[in-house]
Amino acid sequence: MTNLPLLSLLIGLPLLGALVLGLSQFKEQARSVAIVLSTIQLTILGYIYSAFDKTSGLFQFNETHHWFSISLGSMGQFMSKYTLGIDGLSISLILLTGLITWVALWNSTEIKEKVGGYYALVLLLNASIMGCFMAKDLFLFYVFFEFMLLPMYFLIGIWGGPRRNYASLKFFLYTLVGSLLILIVMLGMGVAYVDPYETALLNGLIRPEQDFNLEALKSVQQLISSQELATSSLVHSFDMQALADFKNCQITSILHISSGWQLAGMSAREWGFWLLFIGFAIKLPMVPLHTWLPDAHVEAPTAISVLLAGVLLKIGAYGWLRITIPFFQIEALMAANILAGLGALSIVYGAYNALAMNDLKKLVAYSSVSHMGFVLLGIAAFTAEGWQGAIFQTISHGVLSALLFLIVGVLYSRTGNREIDSFSGLVTLMPRFTVISGIAIFASLGLPGFSGFIGEFFSLMGAFTSPFVHPGIAVLGALGLLLGAGYLLWTFQKIYLGKHYQKNAEWSLPDLNKLEILSLFGLGFISILLGVYPGLLFELSEKFVTELLK
Amino acid sequence: MGLNLLFLGVLLLPWASALLVALFPKPLFSISLSALFSLLAIYFCTQASIDFKITYPWFNLGGKEMNASFWANASAQLVLGLVAIVSFCVQLFSKKYLKEDPSIGRYYVYLHLFVGSMTLLVLTDSILIFYGAWELVGACSYLLISFWHQKTAAIQAAKKAFLINRLGDIALLFGLIALGLHFNTWQFSEINGIAPTLIGIAIITGGIAKSAQFPLMSWLPDAMEGPTPASALIHAATMVAAGVFVGVRVFDITSPETHLFMGIIGAISFLSGAIFAIFQNDIKKTLAYSTISQLGLMWMGMGSDASLFHLLTHGIFKAGLFLAAGAVIHTVHSQSLNDMGGLRKKAPVAALAYLIFGAGLMGLPFTGGFYSKENIAGYLYTSGHTELLVVLALGMVLTSFYISRQFYLIFMGPVKEGPSATDFALPICILVVASLFAWISWNPIEIHASALFARFELALYDIPAFWLYITAATWVLGIAGTYLTRNWIPAGNYQFLPRFWPSLFSLIRWKSRSALVFETQFIDRFVNGIAALQVIIAHLLAWVDRHLVDGILVGGSSSLSAGTGKLLSRWQSAKVQSYWTMIIVTFALFLLYALFIK
Repeated sequence: MTNLPLLSLLIGLPLLGALVLGLSQFKEQARSVAIVLSTIQLTILGYIYSAFDKTSGLFQFNETHHWFSISLGSMGQFMSKYTLGIDGLSISLILLTGLITWVALWNSTEIKEKVGGYYALVLLLNASIMGCFMAKDLFLFYVFFEFMLLPMYFLIGIWGGPRRNYASLKFFLYTLVGSLLILIVMLGMGVAYVDPYETALLNGLIRPEQDFNLEALKSVQQLISSQELATSSLVHSFDMQALADFKNCQITSILHISSGWQLAGMSAREWGFWLLFIGFAIKLPMVPLHTWLPDAHVEAPTAISVLLAGVLLKIGAYGWLRITIPFFQIEALMAANILAGLGALSIVYGAYNALAMNDLKKLVAYSSVSHMGFVLLGIAAFTAEGWQGAIFQTISHGVLSALLFLIVGVLYSRTGNREIDSFSGLVTLMPRFTVISGIAIFASLGLPGFSGFIGEFFSLMGAFTSPFVHPGIAVLGALGLLLGAGYLLWTFQKIYLGKHYQKNAEWSLPDLNKLEILSLFGLGFISILLGVYPGLLFELSEKFVTELLK
Repeated sequence: MGLNLLFLGVLLLPWASALLVALFPKPLFSISLSALFSLLAIYFCTQASIDFKITYPWFNLGGKEMNASFWANASAQLVLGLVAIVSFCVQLFSKKYLKEDPSIGRYYVYLHLFVGSMTLLVLTDSILIFYGAWELVGACSYLLISFWHQKTAAIQAAKKAFLINRLGDIALLFGLIALGLHFNTWQFSEINGIAPTLIGIAIITGGIAKSAQFPLMSWLPDAMEGPTPASALIHAATMVAAGVFVGVRVFDITSPETHLFMGIIGAISFLSGAIFAIFQNDIKKTLAYSTISQLGLMWMGMGSDASLFHLLTHGIFKAGLFLAAGAVIHTVHSQSLNDMGGLRKKAPVAALAYLIFGAGLMGLPFTGGFYSKENIAGYLYTSGHTELLVVLALGMVLTSFYISRQFYLIFMGPVKEGPSATDFALPICILVVASLFAWISWNPIEIHASALFARFELALYDIPAFWLYITAATWVLGIAGTYLTRNWIPAGNYQFLPRFWPSLFSLIRWKSRSALVFETQFIDRFVNGIAALQVIIAHLLAWVDRHLVDGILVGGSSSLSAGTGKLLSRWQSAKVQSYWTMIIVTFALFLLYALFIK
């Protein structure tokens, strides 16, 4: 089994499924096909998890294939590789992706039209997200990143609510702006940086079967900086590892550390950092770049909201940790206070807005903004606690937001209404639903014993104890805990407790069916499991964090 | 080894019980589980050494081990014993009290969850788990207050309690993190030295909300909307005492300034709680203010062993008072003093119990309360806080006054006839026995050769004999006051700034709309404006393109701007293909620029 290209399989299976469902006229079977494929994917993920070596900080399950190379004459040559691999950061995210897709597929029962297309697009989305989390080549990452837009755009635009055109376009344009910013930096870096391994190989400095060790790397970097190699013999690539080492930068480039080039008072590297940062901040989303999110959520069907909040937003955090920060370490460190401030702003502003919402789905959407703010706050800390907390919060929010959006879906599918004012005292009609909603709400407001607590606690603790961040910012962020408890308990009290009331007497509100019970309580159980035994996630990302912090 | 296993049993049994009772919601089953827990816990307290430590591996973070470590020191064992006794009595009491409630199973689940969290809170050595358990007991309190979820007042009170507690939690969170950082350890038992005053005050501030001290006191009287036995357990004996317990935990590692801060907050609460207790019509609210006042008294002990001692005796007699009050409420089906009076015939057990527990509250000899109150006075005397000693005397007059008055108004006066009360004898009697003096010492006036103090190595603070005269005077003054005002019943429940928290909450909610306005009117408009601007520019460009450029320039630039114009002018139904074209063209341009021009 180990000889199989497992990671390519993770992408290939849903891609194949999408092709089959998209081209053929399956209607009845589309759902089953999608679920079967997703289950197989989940099984492979289970195997990968069990075989994953937690003690190693390196990429595992690597797959490398030559993709294309262009000769640039006197500039050397350009090379892009299809390289996949997973490390401690990716593994938890691909597990989350597999799980949430699976849950979303099961809970897509409300989709009745163009079923084949719907499931094809969800599988396509899954494939591109998986690709994002596993690509080791920036160009490959960008291809997957861009590709993700397409299925999401159609999923909201075709199966969405009344304002779906506006929402899907807004989502599309926002994200497009983000990816253009990333594109600019990517191209600039591709030109400026040299891939030391491929260059060494091309110039016969090492033999192909030889290991590329640290000494060899140093000697090549020495050659690059002393400009001894002719520019025509340099190999440029988008390999993330090569881009993460600023010593690989050509000395003549404006991106080189010693370059005095400035634009509007910022060096090229600072520009690079901020463009990359904002590009991913849109995805997270960070205040004030978040306004696409509530609209997209409100219009998207339940399962798509689950995917959007549960997985898609995580690419923002992943991009920061995988790309923005490793590529521009010093610049990121200098900006720690601003990043933390933006994180705290997201937390408080998102919570404050959630407090004002009457639409339950919008409330959950704004709570997402607030909770993802903790991720930024934790990342800005540049301490092990903060980063572990941020990664934990990313996964925890993936599970909890999926749970919350499914809960909204339960109400919406029964009544076609999600106004908080329209309901009261549902506990008498739907006791099971109330129990799981209570669990979800207490988990989201960060009650110990649930995963949300660990993520928020360590993000805050990281920021508070960080030497780079003013502790006042962490205290400001902690206000979000208070506001969060406010809007969540207010919602719980309003919808579930009190005397029974519903706006429309004709609505029938039966308690949860079996599918809903399984998916809701299953997600709730995962949250408790992670909350009681956070080591499950911490041990995965431990090596990644300690390596990156060096 | 056996002791370690026993410890694990004590730690986990309540959680297992919660799960089991959720599956089999039978009161008797729940009570037996509770009895088992109490026996195990008390047996553990008699067997374990007072420096019992045990550590389970939990997880690693950033190369540091985060262990689930536990430290059953003297204070932890004593409070555990209190939890064991009171929780069993409450479970027993609840069976009859909530007999007719269909969701009694859910109630028992909450009780077990609470006991589990409280056990965790007192036994843990880990700062992280301590904070976690601290929040968990708050959540259990929320669940129990809102148990009767049809009552609007109950769910409002539950929310208020949780939010005010969250406010304190934030102070505690940063206090504890700073403490851990300062000493570079995440275990209480490994801390040596004195923490900076600011850290100490942050931790103590966290306790203000939990113990309903001034100025965050108003949630506790509201919380009386919950079931009475639950109030006895969490809002009188144990959870609210967590604020005192945290003071006890950090007593040795905090500065005298921190202690003084705690003492002053306690003194204010002691007096104001006692004053407000006088002006309540609802008997549970009188007891709630009395709890605030007594917790203030513990705070005046500043977290020393005197605080801990009073925490224990108060836990017993206040839980007893609540249960006795519950029996009275069960008899007259009302909480208002107007409906009571002369109940000594209808509820004789409750009357006698009320008398004994009330004596404990006043601090009359032959009760445990007497010792612990004298002990706090002794602590204040030996540590030189004579001004707080004056406050103590003043507060004792008020205490004697309100509790004797309450006893008079409930049980004395003309006897009313009617069916006699349900018999709640057993749980109340257990508490009566536990509240007596003999457990501590055979000498009712002075603690002598106390086995309890010797076993747990508690410090004893002596006070000169003159204090006994002052104490006696306070009793006389208080009871005389009762005699003079025996015909007056307060018309309502007076509160300190009753509108403050509700208005604050609605203010925040109202203000949150301004964030929404900012969002829709500013950010969204700005973004949409940019988009609209693009459309206008695109139209302009298209016009320029058609009329000026067309025919002169062909290729890249013209097709691009025309494409953009077409695309953006119909941006409500954009074609994704065009975006791809745009991306590819941009990409190509960049590539060309990067490769050949630069």
